[in-house]
Amino acid sequence: MLAEDFNLPKQTHDIFAIMARGNFISSNGSRDGMNRLYDIINNPENFDRLQAYFNVIRYNIERGNNYFYFSKLHEPNSELEKKLERFERYIDIIDLLASMDNKITIGSRFRPTEIAEECNANVRLKQKLQKIPLYRSETLHNKVREICDLMSRDSYLELEDEKSESYKVLDSYNYLLDVINSIAIYEDTSGGSGDAQGLIYN
Amino acid sequence: MALQVNINDILSQLYQNRSAIEFLFANRENITVNELLSRGDLSAEQYQKLKSLDLIYEYENIVSLNDAVVAMFEDFMEIGEVTPGFINDYLNELHRHIKFYQEVRELRFLRSIKKYLKRINATITREIIKLQKNVDDTYKNESNYRIKLQKLEDYRLKRDTIIDFIKRTGEVVEEARTLFNLTNDTELYGIVQSLKSSLIENLDFLIEIQTDITDFINKIQFQLDVYKKAQKLKEIKDHGALYFKTNFKEIVTSVNTLRYNGHKTPRTKIAVDFLFTDDGHVLCKRVAEKYKLTRLMVRGLADKMAGNFKDKGLEQQIKLDTQKLVDRFLTQNKANLFEYLMDYKFPKSIGTVTFEERLSLFVEIAMEYQTILDFKYRLQYYDYEDKEQKKKRLGYTLILPMKEKEKKKKETKEPVNS
Repeated sequence: MLAEDFNLPKQTHDIFAIMARGNFISSNGSRDGMNRLYDIINNPENFDRLQAYFNVIRYNIERGNNYFYFSKLHEPNSELEKKLERFERYIDIIDLLASMDNKITIGSRFRPTEIAEECNANVRLKQKLQKIPLYRSETLHNKVREICDLMSRDSYLELEDEKSESYKVLDSYNYLLDVINSIAIYEDTSGGSGDAQGLIYN
Repeated sequence: MALQVNINDILSQLYQNRSAIEFLFANRENITVNELLSRGDLSAEQYQKLKSLDLIYEYENIVSLNDAVVAMFEDFMEIGEVTPGFINDYLNELHRHIKFYQEVRELRFLRSIKKYLKRINATITREIIKLQKNVDDTYKNESNYRIKLQKLEDYRLKRDTIIDFIKRTGEVVEEARTLFNLTNDTELYGIVQSLKSSLIENLDFLIEIQTDITDFINKIQFQLDVYKKAQKLKEIKDHGALYFKTNFKEIVTSVNTLRYNGHKTPRTKIAVDFLFTDDGHVLCKRVAEKYKLTRLMVRGLADKMAGNFKDKGLEQQIKLDTQKLVDRFLTQNKANLFEYLMDYKFPKSIGTVTFEERLSLFVEIAMEYQTILDFKYRLQYYDYEDKEQKKKRLGYTLILPMKEKEKKKKETKEPVNS
């Protein structure tokens, strides 16, 4: 059987190269023609073929809201401790981003300096930022930079312009939000919702 | 406006300087006189002429096209700024002219009515396209969520306004139907028909836009809800209760992305054969430079092969052809194998064959051809001097060419250094 017989799109290798590294393919990513790759996977015909093809080597394409990623079939998920640590850190980060005046959402663009400035002007934010662990950098700006760096390595952000250090939020950010949204809090929350409303709009 | 101008003048002027006009139209802001003149397609004289016709204005060294010209182009290409206010004005005008026409059935009012009906049709469609684009843009590009929400709400209001206009237009047309019928004007009939159908179509578009807006607002709301939740989780985490008051662990355990499960990219080793190629060597060199491995850096690319490399290959073959040597040994009966090899005059092309080499040849032949050789199992001795000029004696098995059929024996004795 020849490779052509599968009738795969010719970008199959590029798709594999990105997703097998654990990265997301988002519809609004622009680097390396990512949006085009997204369109190719999103085409139902291609999707079925690619899915069948990758399933053979036990990769499974997972579909999210405007993004795709790989999971492994029949393999236990491992490294639980690292995973927990990472998501704990993401809670810190999202909490910081959620407390900003200028909240980032899908498609927004920002520069680390902007966030650093806002943190500098607001004691509460400053504290939050300083308390985020595991960062070597001392200055606020460098800390924000490291966060951006981490998030773009995990392909939630994309460095759009290196000169101005401007980042763009990709659709894969939804994944983080989805994970956080799916965490259930056991506590009785009926009374607290009003306060939470106040928190976000302050 | 001092000069009397006619259409012909204006058109020819615009046409003559069309590239400059095009440039000015495309860059409506911040073009200085110098910039414009340095483009080379407009001389200072032509510039003065355009200015004298009021086709372009100059203010504090900034050049701009006459607003009327810009408006004409924009209207024609349907790209200009339109606001719902326009539609309102047109509707009022339409009302007015219909009234006039009811008073006096004069053609000039009918013409205005047609004009405004057409304009309403075009403007509503453009307004809707613009609205759709704005909604999309706002959701995707507005970075501040509060402005984003506010803008989307504004668009929702705008949509309601447009729906209102559509209704009013429909009413006006309905009221004036009998009047329009009386005119017996086929052009007017066509305009009204196309207006009606486009009104219906536009209503459909608006419903779609409404779903979009609602969808976008919901998505933003979802994000905000998640943000709220993240803040709450952070609070719980700060209290150290993340693992006890939430199902954080379960959720994170079920996370199945490759990155968070330590699945590394499949890595392939470099094929060894590849390293032997020139490309592989270049790769090795780069690695060597990176890690400062001088050992690898020294080895260069292989030199060009000598022209006579084929002949050399031939010599090698002669050297290795022991079969012939054995054949020759078998045909004679003066010497035993050891003596024969020691005295044998190898061809010159092989070069000198050392004592050690002859010795190994002896062992090789003794092992390989034991079936056709006559082993005498008697030791003979051979005296020689080694490299350090020491006298040595070597004992060897007497091996003769086979003379007649004898019982074959497999045992051999290797030479023993004494």
